[in-house]
Amino acid sequence: MKISDLADNTGEWLRGTGPESDIVISSRIRLARNVARFPFLSRANLKQKKELEEVVRDRIKESDIAHDLCYVNLSEVSPIDRLFLVERHLISREHAGGEGERGVAFGKSETISLMVNEEDHLRIQVIRSGFELKEAWKTIDEVDNKLEKKLCYAYSSRFGYLTACPTNVGTGMRASVMLHLPALGMTHHIEKVFNAVMKLGLVVRGLYGEGTQVSGDLYQISNQFTLGKSEQEIIEIIEGVIPRITSYERMARKALVSESREQLEDRIWRSYGMLKAARLITSEEIMHLLSQVRMGVNLGIINDIEMKTLNELFILTLPGHLQKLEGRELDSTQRNVIRAAYVRKRLEK
Amino acid sequence: MKCESCNKKHATVHLTEIVGNTKKERHLCEECAQSVNTHLTKIPSPTEILTSLINQVAPEINEMSKIACPVCGLSYLDFRTSGRLGCPMDYTIFRKGLTPILEKMHGSTQHVGKVPSRAGKELIKKNELMQLRNELNKAVEKEDYEKAAELRDKIYELSGASDENQ
Ligand SMILES: [Zn+2]
Ligand SMILES: [Zn+2]
Repeated sequence: MKISDLADNTGEWLRGTGPESDIVISSRIRLARNVARFPFLSRANLKQKKELEEVVRDRIKESDIAHDLCYVNLSEVSPIDRLFLVERHLISREHAGGEGERGVAFGKSETISLMVNEEDHLRIQVIRSGFELKEAWKTIDEVDNKLEKKLCYAYSSRFGYLTACPTNVGTGMRASVMLHLPALGMTHHIEKVFNAVMKLGLVVRGLYGEGTQVSGDLYQISNQFTLGKSEQEIIEIIEGVIPRITSYERMARKALVSESREQLEDRIWRSYGMLKAARLITSEEIMHLLSQVRMGVNLGIINDIEMKTLNELFILTLPGHLQKLEGRELDSTQRNVIRAAYVRKRLEK
Repeated sequence: MKCESCNKKHATVHLTEIVGNTKKERHLCEECAQSVNTHLTKIPSPTEILTSLINQVAPEINEMSKIACPVCGLSYLDFRTSGRLGCPMDYTIFRKGLTPILEKMHGSTQHVGKVPSRAGKELIKKNELMQLRNELNKAVEKEDYEKAAELRDKIYELSGASDENQ
């Protein structure tokens, strides 16, 4: 499998299926692990990094995690390919921008990905469509058990899994749920959600993790703490808060429909019209338009697009994807033209 | 919609910022967005949170500043600046400086989650007991005595009489 084989479709987690998938786009868990007899990467020399990359990569390959696992050495691929993998959520931005020997293994469905030499020696990630954190945990726990038989992890009974950054120590687990909350954004109730969530020790982030802008009304809610609570307890805390947020979003949508139906419909249809007719669309604008149309589909106002198509367009119209699709580097104006053309093509039948 | 900044061009960029726990929306044209983008306030990253925590909690600084890890060479001062540790051994060597930071960050300094199977059956049992005790405390807090009794029996069964006074 080559990276370009991925360009025209998307991972299974974007199918728009699974519990509460009108609001919960995906559920993701990642585990940070390090190999006991090596220093963390910031202190590893080139030789140790190379050795780590080989050892971890080979153990992954031997571990029978998925039959179709493919491995990409990130130091050997182009910056566009790395950007493409970031947009795909298969690697992190830090991993893409890193230096030296590093890589990623993932299966064809893109549910599982294993980052080698990211901030930690190994980062395992599982993403599922909809609200399925428990399922994601089951999968990742099994993958971790298989790898643990081959790799001696750095672990202490006091501090748990030892990680390069003390913010991850203990479980090494970050569980997150990606939510689409357009109505709470429009009605300015989103601050209340942030407050409630932060009181539970959870954090809210944008689409691409730490320090990123919120766009397309997409929010990620994840745990901040990793020590002192078990994996199940952390998952239960997040699972407890999500239904409250989704029902709050549904209430806000209902209120918009009953109080200002015309304005709402106008906004949604205008956004749909722009997507179908515009000749230049920036990456920020498209997130905004897709968000409106997505809510329109959920409210039954628009009936002729599949949720899967919309979810995919959030990813397929990103800069790395457009450049991969065209097979060359594009400046932002060229991207805006191609983005608009691509969306028009996808929306006409 | 007109751009908020220049009031001339059409606003095509819709930014949402999270500052503390309030959300701010900005509607800008592409040009204005590009000039403003570089100094937008961002959500603090875990690294930024960490660095500020390290600076808050550092009474041991004088004592710790003399220590460096014999395995990877990292000094406690290096850690304070970068927020990153150098090797697994650092958790032992800098324990005194780290525990107050971990306490502030996670509200705990004791792992109770998953145990790798090679760490041994005893440790797995110990963690399981710790989790059950946590649940027991929660049940008692909630005055759910039925659940508490159930958990107490489980703890009893798992630990045997030997280490019940732990
Ligand atoms: Zn402007
Ligand atoms: Zn060290």
